Amino acid sequence: MIGLQEGGHRHELRTPAGHPVPKGEPILELHSLRKNYGAVEALKPASMTFLSGEVHAIVGENGAGKSTLIKLLTGVITRTSGEILWCGEPVQLATPNEAISRGINAVHQEVVLCPHLSVAANMFLGDEMNRRGLMRKRAMTDAAQGVLDDLGFNLPASAVLGSLTIGQQQLVATARAAMRGTQFLIFDEPTAYLTRQESEQLFRLIRRLQGEGVTIVYISHRLEEVFELADRVSVLRDGTHVGTRAIGETNEAELIALMINRTIEQIYHKEHFTAGDTLVETRGLTGPGFADVSLTVRAGEIVGLYGLIGAGRSEFALGLYGRHRLSAGEVFWQGRKVEIDSERKAMELGIALAPESRRDQGLCLNLPIGLNINLPVFRKLTRGLTINRAEEAANADRQIRDLKIKTPSRRVLASAMSGGNQQKIVIGKWLSHGAKLFIFDEPTVGVDVGTKAEIYRLFARLLEKGAGIILISSYLPEVYELSDRLHVFRQGRLVGSHGYRTASHEEVLAQAIGA
Amino acid sequence: MSVETVESSTGPTPRKGISILFGLTLLGLLLFLWLLLGFATNSFWTPNNISNLLRQGAMTAILAVGQTFVIITAGIDLSVGAVVGFTSVIVAWLLAAGVPLWLALIATLAIGVLIGAFHAFGIVRMGLPAFIITLATLTSLRGIGLLITNGSTISITNEAFTNFSRADFLGVPSLFWMVIVVAVPAYIFLHLSRFGRYLFAVGSNAEAARLSGVNVNRTTYLAYILSSTCAAFVGLLLASRIGIGNATQAEGWELQAIASSVIGGTSLFGAVGSVHGPLLGAFILATINNGANLLNVNSFWQRIITGLLIIVIVYFDQLRRRGER
Ligand SMILES: Nc1ncnc2c1ncn2[C@@H]1O[C@H](COP(=O)(O)OP(=O)(O)OP(=O)(O)O)[C@@H](O)[C@H]1O
Ligand SMILES: [Mg+2]
Repeated sequence: MIGLQEGGHRHELRTPAGHPVPKGEPILELHSLRKNYGAVEALKPASMTFLSGEVHAIVGENGAGKSTLIKLLTGVITRTSGEILWCGEPVQLATPNEAISRGINAVHQEVVLCPHLSVAANMFLGDEMNRRGLMRKRAMTDAAQGVLDDLGFNLPASAVLGSLTIGQQQLVATARAAMRGTQFLIFDEPTAYLTRQESEQLFRLIRRLQGEGVTIVYISHRLEEVFELADRVSVLRDGTHVGTRAIGETNEAELIALMINRTIEQIYHKEHFTAGDTLVETRGLTGPGFADVSLTVRAGEIVGLYGLIGAGRSEFALGLYGRHRLSAGEVFWQGRKVEIDSERKAMELGIALAPESRRDQGLCLNLPIGLNINLPVFRKLTRGLTINRAEEAANADRQIRDLKIKTPSRRVLASAMSGGNQQKIVIGKWLSHGAKLFIFDEPTVGVDVGTKAEIYRLFARLLEKGAGIILISSYLPEVYELSDRLHVFRQGRLVGSHGYRTASHEEVLAQAIGA
Repeated sequence: MSVETVESSTGPTPRKGISILFGLTLLGLLLFLWLLLGFATNSFWTPNNISNLLRQGAMTAILAVGQTFVIITAGIDLSVGAVVGFTSVIVAWLLAAGVPLWLALIATLAIGVLIGAFHAFGIVRMGLPAFIITLATLTSLRGIGLLITNGSTISITNEAFTNFSRADFLGVPSLFWMVIVVAVPAYIFLHLSRFGRYLFAVGSNAEAARLSGVNVNRTTYLAYILSSTCAAFVGLLLASRIGIGNATQAEGWELQAIASSVIGGTSLFGAVGSVHGPLLGAFILATINNGANLLNVNSFWQRIITGLLIIVIVYFDQLRRRGER
C-alpha cells in the first residue's frame, strides 16, 4: 500500500477501512437481475453471487450481456427489475456516485475519460485537490505520478490523455479506479488493447489488490487470462447466466461449449496459399511515428506486424493509407511507383484500412449500422444522381448476416451494439469494396472466440480470392499463428522479420521489447 | 425484434419510419394551430392572410433548409441573415447599374456561393470554428452592405423583378412555390444521394468518414456553400418583396432559421436532421407570429412564446430519441 501526504489530502491505493464481509463470504448477490433496452432483452433474469476477495471472471459471446451487467452494478444504467444485495443488504445502485461511495468501481470497456485533460486531471476528475477553492495542479500531478510509478505503469502524469494510445488510456482508467477506495473492482476487457508487457503490469496490479482484500470481477474474451487470474468463472449466454465453475474444475473446451453452445476445433484457422504477385512494396518509408520501413505484401499472404503499443505499426498503416504525410521513402503498387497522398487515392488503388479505434476512427456511432457499412461504397451504390436503395439495403444486410452482427435491423444505431459487434461493423465496411490489400489493425479486439474463428476464416477467403493482408495485432498468438511473414516493430522501426512460425514467441517478444 | 431501438432515432433515410412519424407530429401541430386560429379569429382563414403567412414562412423555410445542411455536419452558420441583407443590396445595386436582370440574379447567387466557400475555407484551411468565421462575416457583410449603400437603401425599379413576389401561380403565392423549388432538390440531395450520407457521416465522426474515403473538406465546402446560396436566394426574394436593397434587413433571421431547423428535429450535435423538418418548423414559427399579430398579442410576447416552444419541442424530441435507458 502506498500513501501520499499532500496538503491534508491522502491519495493512495487503498481499501476502505474494515472489511464488512469476511473473505469467501458473499459480498454481492444478484437476484433475477434484468435489463431491457426497449424490446431488446440485454439481460434476462440473471442470478449470481460474488464472494469477498475472489477474482471472478465473466465470459460470454459478443452481446451476451456482460457489459450490461457491469453497467448495472456501477449505476451507469438502471435495472428493469430484480434485486442487488451488497453485503447482505438490498441496494439501489441508481447512480455512479452511489456505487463509488459503496466501494464499487469499474474500468469500462470503452474508456470514458476526458481526452483534452491531462492524465493527472483525469485521475482526479470529480475528486480534485483544492485549497480555498483553487485546484492544486502541481500537487495533483505529483500525486498522480506517484500512483502511476507505484503501479509500474510507465506513463507521464502531465501528458494530455488524448495523446496516449488507447491501451495507455486504459491503464490510466485502471489507475484511476484503483486510486479510489475500492472494495469491488470490475474490469471490462481491460487487456483488449494491451500488449503482453502491459497486460502483465495489469495482472500484477490485480493480484496485489486481491491480496489487499479487494473483490475483482474480470471480463475477457481471452480464456488463458481467465485461467491465469480467476478463482471462479461465470458464463453468460444471450443474457442468461448459464453456469459458474471453480477454475480448477473446468477447462477451455467446457467454457467455450457453455458460451456458444457448440465446440470449435481450431480457433486460429490458417490456410496456406502460394503467394502471388507483389501487391505493395515500401522502401524506406518514413512518416510521423515510423522510420525507414521496407516491406512487401504479396497476393495470398498475411503479413503480420507485431510490437508494443506505440511501436509505430498503426502509424505506418495510416501513412501507407494516405492519412499521414510521408516524409521519405517510396511505395510501389503492383510494381508501379505511386504517391498515396489521400485516403481516397489509397482506396482507388485497392487498399482498405480497418483502423485500430472503432470509437474514434472506425464508426459513426450515432448513425445506423447500415450507413456505417455502406460508407466506403456509396460511390458504387450510386446510379445517376441517387443511391440505389435496394442495393444499399442488400449490401448492409449481407454483411450483417455474414459477420453475424447481432442486431434486429440495419437501421439500429451503431452505438446500441455491444463492443464486439461494433468491431464486426468496422470489418464489414470493407468487405464489399473489392480491395486487394486489406490492412486490419487489431481486428479482433473485443471479439468473442466463436466470431474470432469466423474472422480468421474470412481472412482465408480473402486470400483465396487473391487479396493480401496486413495484420496488426498486439496479441502475439494471433499474429504468430496467422502470419506468413511476421515483422516486429520497435520505436517506429522494423527490427525483425520472420517466416511462418520460424521464431519462438520468446524471440519475437525479446525483439519487440529490445531486450 | 426491437421496435424501440429502431424508433429511437431520426435522420437519414435508413430511419425513415420514425422520421416520418416525427414529421407527422409537427404537421399535426401546424394543423392544430391553424384550426385554433381559425376559431379564435375571423381573419385567419382569409385568402389574404393565408397568402401573407405563406410568403412570410417561405423565406425562413428556405434559410432553414440551407442551415440544416450545415448543422448536420455539426457546424453552424450565423451569417445567413446578414447574407440576405447583403445580397438584397447587391442585386439592387446591379440592377441600378443597368445590369440585365438574368445576369444580376446569377451574379447575386454566385456571391452566395463565394461567401459559403469563404466560410468553408476559414474552417478547413485556417482551422477556425464555424461559429467564429460565420459570426465574423455576419458583422462584416452588414458593414460592406452599408458602405455600398452609404448607409441608406437602393430602390429597385425593375417591375418584372418586384412583381414576382406579389404574383400568384395556381392560386398560391410564387414565394411559396420557391420553397418547393428549393425543397425538392434538397430532399433528393440529402436523403437520396451519397453526398447527403456524407454530410451525416462527417457530422457524426469526421475521422471515421475520412478513413472511409469521404472527402471531409469537400463535404464541408458543400454544406456551407449550400447554406449561403440558399441565403442569397432568399436575399433575391426579399429584395423583390420590399423593392429595395438594404443591408440592415433580415436582422436576426439566422436565429429564426436555426430555431426552425431545431424545431424540425435537427440536432445541434450533428448527424441528425431532415429536409421536411425545418420546413415545418419554419411554418410553425410563421404561424405563431401571424396568429399573435391577428390576436393583437404584444410582440414581446411573441418572442417569449417562440422561446418556450423551442424548449418544449426540443425537450420532447430528446426524450423520444433517448428512448429507454
Ligand atoms: N444502448 C443500447 N440500446 C439498445 N440495445 C443495447 C444498448 N446497449 C447494449 N444493447 C444490447 O444489449 C445486448 C448486450 O450488450 P452488452 O454490451 O452487454 O454485450 P457484451 O456481453 O458486453 O458484449 P461484447 O463482448 O461484445 O462487449 C446486445 O444485444 C446489445 O445490442
Ligand atoms: Mg462488452
